[in-house]
Amino acid sequence: MGSRAEFSPQTLSVLVALSGQPSAWQHGYALARQTGLKSGTLYPILIRLADRGLVEACWQEEPAPGRPRRHLYRLTPDGLAGAATAVAEAELAEAEPTATKARPGASPRRGRGVAAPAVP
Amino acid sequence: MSWLGPVATAARRGLVLLLPAARRDWAEAVWAEAHEVPPGWPRLAWRAGGVLLIAKEGQMSRRTGILLLFAAAAGAAAWGAWPGSPVSHGAAVQGGIIITLALLAGLPLLTRRVLGPPDTRAARWLRAGFYAAILAVMPAQAAIGLFNGAVPRAGIDRHVWDVVQGAGVPGSSSGGPDWGGEIAILIFTACYVAVILALTARRTPVAPATLAIGVGAGLALGVVMYALAPLGLNFKYPDRPWLHGSAVDPFVALAWILVFGAPLVAGVLAGMRCHVPGGPGEASVARAWQGFGAGLVSGSVGALFLTVSGTGTLALLVRSAWVRDWLYHGPHLTASALYGRELYATQDATGYFLLLVGFPFIGLLLGLVGAGIAHATGSLPDNGGPGGPPGPGEPEPVPDPPDGRRLADAPELAALAGG
Repeated sequence: MGSRAEFSPQTLSVLVALSGQPSAWQHGYALARQTGLKSGTLYPILIRLADRGLVEACWQEEPAPGRPRRHLYRLTPDGLAGAATAVAEAELAEAEPTATKARPGASPRRGRGVAAPAVP
Repeated sequence: MSWLGPVATAARRGLVLLLPAARRDWAEAVWAEAHEVPPGWPRLAWRAGGVLLIAKEGQMSRRTGILLLFAAAAGAAAWGAWPGSPVSHGAAVQGGIIITLALLAGLPLLTRRVLGPPDTRAARWLRAGFYAAILAVMPAQAAIGLFNGAVPRAGIDRHVWDVVQGAGVPGSSSGGPDWGGEIAILIFTACYVAVILALTARRTPVAPATLAIGVGAGLALGVVMYALAPLGLNFKYPDRPWLHGSAVDPFVALAWILVFGAPLVAGVLAGMRCHVPGGPGEASVARAWQGFGAGLVSGSVGALFLTVSGTGTLALLVRSAWVRDWLYHGPHLTASALYGRELYATQDATGYFLLLVGFPFIGLLLGLVGAGIAHATGSLPDNGGPGGPPGPGEPEPVPDPPDGRRLADAPELAALAGG
């Protein structure tokens, strides 16, 4: 569960963003801002994660006046464990190439440099 | 521009409907979240992402493709069938075309709510084939009606027309049946479409294998009947370009055998394949359904194949010298004789209507008889006991995946499922 090889860099970045506040429900726009993903990329990722039981979703119960209800997301326990494993593997993989061979031009979008904040 | 908002909302709701029910929340979520995005380009880009989501998630390519294909085929059929010049029954023909297309578009939505969508490849292909056949018949029928109803102004053709058709107003044209005829055709078309939609829906008791058996038997019947009489059952001038036989020709005998034999054999085969792990009562009911379905499908497919190919040949006959030479074995006929034969042939096109009514009834009756034979011989066990080959059993309808698509449909999902 949650092996880094399973996740694309974009998926990993969503997992990382969600695992930053594991107990809090987060909005799609907040996640988009944290990850830098467009809505057309972010939501299919959230759908896949929800299908696998790694993310749970619900509708906001009390929307702001004049605003529609928002869809909220957070990691499930499985998702939290998977994210922790995936991020740890990502950090390990990040460390190994830099130890053996410097890759100054490596792009984060190629799956080599996903920013991974600490997972609680 | 106050209308723009409601139009955009309606368009968005229409787009969301393209998604499977389990995915609609996600599309709504994107739109709801758009209110949090700064207005202008960022919000527009966010909503564009929502459209992209619908395209990715909604099997949009398939559904849109089907819609576009149907729209194109319906448009082509209407264009081909639409009365080009003022004819006496033009309004009836136009009304018939419009209502037929509305039936073809609307009835699947109705049956989908009641019986569910088609969920097997056999069911989808059978529906597509029926729709294609009905759309193909429309312009062919119009061309035949226009030719048959056009009264020559004078000359030998006028005399021939009077002999074949009776008196008519010179230069006039009926171009098709009147309202009474159109209504009869519409009711008949609606029944045909409703039956085939019901037989191919998810909650039908007819198995996909039964549909395949019925289609096979029906095509065999239709091909042989067409080979025997490519211009319909015209006994005055039988036109058989490759068969020169008479009523006792072996091929004629084969055709008659197939009319009754094809649904019977289809019913037997469908009944034999039916395996029900219940009591004898349940097994007999299940086999009866398979026989009913196989016979009805074989009769309908046979009649429809014959009608499409026959009316298509007739429509080409009145327009193409090559087809005339092929059917009448060379240009040895005088112009008036040729015109007379064409009139007789097109006049007999109404006979296809009788075939379309008769074949399915013959089919369902003989299919039931076939299923009864299969049940009586008991070639397959009802409880897995001895008595026959281990049949594959009644294929259960395969439910749609929760999101209405396969796992490997998206690279992202394939990556997630890879481990």
